[in-house]
Amino acid sequence: MDHPSFTQTQSTPLISFDEATHTLCIAGESFPENSFAFYAPVLDWLKQYLQQHRQLRLDLAITYMNSSSTKCMLDLLDLMEEAHSQGGEVRIIWRYDRENPRSYELAEEFSEEVTFPFEITAFP
Amino acid sequence: MDLYSLREQFDQSGMMICFNGPFSHSIIEELGTALRNHLAAENIAKAAVLDVFAIYIELAQNVRNYQALRSLGQGETAASIITIARWNSGYAVSSGNMILKEDAAPLCERIAEINGCTPEELKRRYKEQLRRDPQPDALGAGLGLLEIARRSTSPMTCAVRELDGPYAFFSLTAFI
Repeated sequence: MDHPSFTQTQSTPLISFDEATHTLCIAGESFPENSFAFYAPVLDWLKQYLQQHRQLRLDLAITYMNSSSTKCMLDLLDLMEEAHSQGGEVRIIWRYDRENPRSYELAEEFSEEVTFPFEITAFP
Repeated sequence: MDLYSLREQFDQSGMMICFNGPFSHSIIEELGTALRNHLAAENIAKAAVLDVFAIYIELAQNVRNYQALRSLGQGETAASIITIARWNSGYAVSSGNMILKEDAAPLCERIAEINGCTPEELKRRYKEQLRRDPQPDALGAGLGLLEIARRSTSPMTCAVRELDGPYAFFSLTAFI
């Protein structure tokens, strides 16, 4: 199964995967016309990937997502949580915009939903 | 058509941006960009710009998802209104669209219920809804109104205008 690769648009984030570092990057803003349809292939891929590799670093730089994207992001984190509970090595780095407290609050709320390593750091 | 009087009315009511017509996803994107540029020029905090933008997106996508759910996205029922206006020292974002008459009462009840929640209750309910499985074929996650309430600084207001036939016109305003 090919790893996900999406270029950034006005309402959808860039999504890319680096095999060497097991890093899935999601960057930009997320308010697709249909979030469930947009994220379904990413979720399908991740599920399969984690079964085979049990190792993932999720690098997020999302400053805004609409409510249905939030739901999809939680589904993604749940897959990682499941892998973590089975001994998998998963972690998140969430990059927020220092000038925008909302992007920090978004990261913080997600960090409350998981038990694996979750680093929140400002944009360089 | 004398558009000047319409414009005067807009100016008097503090209207910044108004769209009336059937709207697509790309119109939502473009209006969103226009809105942000407009707000950026007003020199307000980034968080406030994002709150206005986020409320606008939830309102607009709620209308689109509702129209898809009820198959109202064609013909006379498709036209909807989105407005962003100045309000006190902040902003009012509104949507207006056709709904089925029978949907009016439950919708207004849900809004009243959400208006009655404290910020802590809103957060708890948001997280509960986040954990709920979406309805099959749903386009949204049922989070839109909660998201709007969490970013609002005053309770939402709604109005229903009964029309002939099976429809009513529903207006919803959020304040930031």
